[in-house]
Amino acid sequence: MRLKEGLTPVTRYVIGIGLLVLLLFALDRFLPGFWLTLFLLFGINTILAVSLNITNGWANLFSIGHGGIMLAGGYAAALFTLPVFFKADIVGLHLPGWILNVQIPFLPALIIGGVIGSVVGIVLALPALRLRGLYFILVTLGFNLIMVTIAENLRNYTNGAMGLRQFPLYTNVWWVWGIAFLLIYIAWMLKKSFIGRAMIALGRDQELAEHMGINLMRYKIYAFGLSTFFTAIGGILWVHLILNLFPNAFGLTLVFHVVVMIVIGGMGSISGAVIGSAIVTSFTLVLAPVEEGFRLFGLQVPRMMGLTTLLFAAMLIVILILKPQGLMGEGEFSLQGLRRKLSRSKPAS
Amino acid sequence: MTYFLQQMLNGISWGSILAMLGAGYTMTFGIIGLVNFAHGEVFMAGAFAAYFALYAAGLPFGVAVVIGILGAVVVGLFVERIAFKPVRGSGMITLFITSFAASIGLRTLFVMLFTDKAKPFVLPDFLDGAYILGDLWVFKRTIAIVVVLVVVGGLLMYLVKKTKTGIAMRAMSYDMQTAQSMGMNTEKIIILTFMIASALAGVAAIMWGVSYGRIRSSMGMMPVVDAFIASVIGGVGNVFGAIVGGLILGIGETLFVAYLPPELIGLRTLFVWIVLFIILIIKPSGLFRANIK
Repeated sequence: MRLKEGLTPVTRYVIGIGLLVLLLFALDRFLPGFWLTLFLLFGINTILAVSLNITNGWANLFSIGHGGIMLAGGYAAALFTLPVFFKADIVGLHLPGWILNVQIPFLPALIIGGVIGSVVGIVLALPALRLRGLYFILVTLGFNLIMVTIAENLRNYTNGAMGLRQFPLYTNVWWVWGIAFLLIYIAWMLKKSFIGRAMIALGRDQELAEHMGINLMRYKIYAFGLSTFFTAIGGILWVHLILNLFPNAFGLTLVFHVVVMIVIGGMGSISGAVIGSAIVTSFTLVLAPVEEGFRLFGLQVPRMMGLTTLLFAAMLIVILILKPQGLMGEGEFSLQGLRRKLSRSKPAS
Repeated sequence: MTYFLQQMLNGISWGSILAMLGAGYTMTFGIIGLVNFAHGEVFMAGAFAAYFALYAAGLPFGVAVVIGILGAVVVGLFVERIAFKPVRGSGMITLFITSFAASIGLRTLFVMLFTDKAKPFVLPDFLDGAYILGDLWVFKRTIAIVVVLVVVGGLLMYLVKKTKTGIAMRAMSYDMQTAQSMGMNTEKIIILTFMIASALAGVAAIMWGVSYGRIRSSMGMMPVVDAFIASVIGGVGNVFGAIVGGLILGIGETLFVAYLPPELIGLRTLFVWIVLFIILIIKPSGLFRANIK
C-alpha cells in the first residue's frame, strides 16, 4: 500500500488502465466461445443496469420504458450496419436510397443509435416528466408497448415481427467493456459532481431540491438523456452480439430483468448495478440447461422455458421483503470501506 | 350504419370486460394506493379455473362460473399475502415492483404449466345464438354480458356508497391512519377489498371466455393495462367512473379498429394510449371526481 500512496494520480490511472487492458486482452484470447459470449452479455447487462440506475435509482424516475429506447436505437443502428445486399434482398423492406445503399462501420452506427435513443427518450420525457410516481411508470410502460407495436407495424423499415437477421458480428470484448468502463467512470464521477448530486437530491425530495435552486426539468432531462443514450448503445451491442433483431425481444420481460439487476444490487448504487448484472447473468447461465430439460436420476425433467423469469420474480419479491435496500444500498464499493469493515469484524484481541 | 351498430355491440361487450376489470383495479388503487399489476393474472387464473371446471371436471356452466370466481379470489388473496402485505407502507415504487414481479412470475408460471396456446371455451347452449334485427345480429352472449355488467356494477355501487363496509372503504382511502384510530379493522377491509376486486376479475374472465370463446395464459397482459387506463380516465377510486371509462375505451377501441385500414390493424393498442395522453393533458384527475385525497 505504501508503494501505491507514493504514486501520482496520473501514474495510478495509467497503471489501472494498463492492467484492465491486459486483463481484457487475456480474456479475449483465452476464453472459449461460450464463456466469451457470457462475458459479453455480462458487459451489456452492466451497461443496461448502470444506465437504468441513473433514472430509476438516482432521479427516482422509475422508467420501465427503456426497452422501447433500446428498440429505437437498435433499429436505427441496424439499418445502417446491415450489409447492402441483405437489405435489398428482403421483400418487405422499402428503405429510402440513402439508407439502402450504405453500410457504415460500428462506431458511427453506435453514435447514431445512441443519439436517436437519446432523442426518443427526451421526446418521451418532455410530456412524461410532468407526471409523478405511478403515472410516470404508466406512461413509460405505455411507451414500451407503443414502440413494440410501431416496430411491428412499420414493415417498410423494420420488416415487421419477422425482424432482421445477418448482422455483421461487430460486438467484441473491446467495444462492450470499453463502453461499460466508460459508463461506469462517467457515472462514478457524476455521482460526486454537482449534476449527479442534483439528480440524487431531486430523487429524494423534489420540493426541497427545487427550493435549493435546482432546475428540476433540466436535471431530469439530463438524467433521462444520459441514461437513454447508453441504454440505446447497450441495445445496439446486444443486437450485434445476438445477430437477430425483432420487436418482441424488447418487451417487458427484458426491462424486468434489468429492473431485477438494479433492485438486487441496490437502487442508486453503481457497484450494486454491476453486482446485480453479474448475478442475473450467471443465473441465466446456470438455469439455461435446466430450462432445456434434463435427466435427473433417470427421471426426465421436461422443458421449462421461463424458469429464469419465474425465479427472478420470486427473488425480487423476497429481496424487497427482506432487504429492500438491496446488496449495496445506495453506497459504493470501496477498498477503504472494505478494509474498515474487515478490521471491525475481527474479534477484539 | 349497420356496420357501425354491429361494431358498437362488439365494443360494448369488450368495454364491459374492461369495466369489470377497471372497477376491481380502482378499488385496490383507491384504498391502499396500490396499482395491482397482477390483476391481469388474477383475471387469467379465474378464466383457467372456469375452463378446468368445465372441461376437466365436466361441471355445468353455472358451477364453473362460481369456481372461476373462487379461483380468481384465491389467486388474488395469494398475491396479496405474498407480494403486498409484507411490503405495505414501504413506498409506492416498491409496491409497484413487487406487483410487477408477481404479474410476470404468475404469467410465466402459467405459460410453463399450460403453454401459451389458445384453449377453447365453448359457450353453453342458452348463450349460443343471436337475435336478428334487420341486418343487425344481436348475440345472446352480448345481452348476457351487458346484463351481468349492470347487475354487478349496480351491486358494487350500492356496496361502496350505502353499506357500512363501503363507507369504511372510502374512509380508508381518504386517510388510513384516522380510519384506524376510529376503530376500523383496516386489515379486514383490505382483505375484503382484495376479495371483491378479484371476484370482479373472475367475472370479467368469464365474460372474456363467453365473448371470445378461447382463453390463453398471456390473456391478462393487454386488458390489465387497458383496465388501469380505464380507472385513471374515470377518476381513481371511483367505481362508476371506472365502469364508464371501461365502456368508453372498449367501444372507442373497437370502432377505431373497425375504421382503420386493414394493414394498420396492429395499431389497435395505440388507441387507449392516445386517450390516456389526452386525458392526462386536459384533465389529469379523470372524468369523474377521484375518490382519493
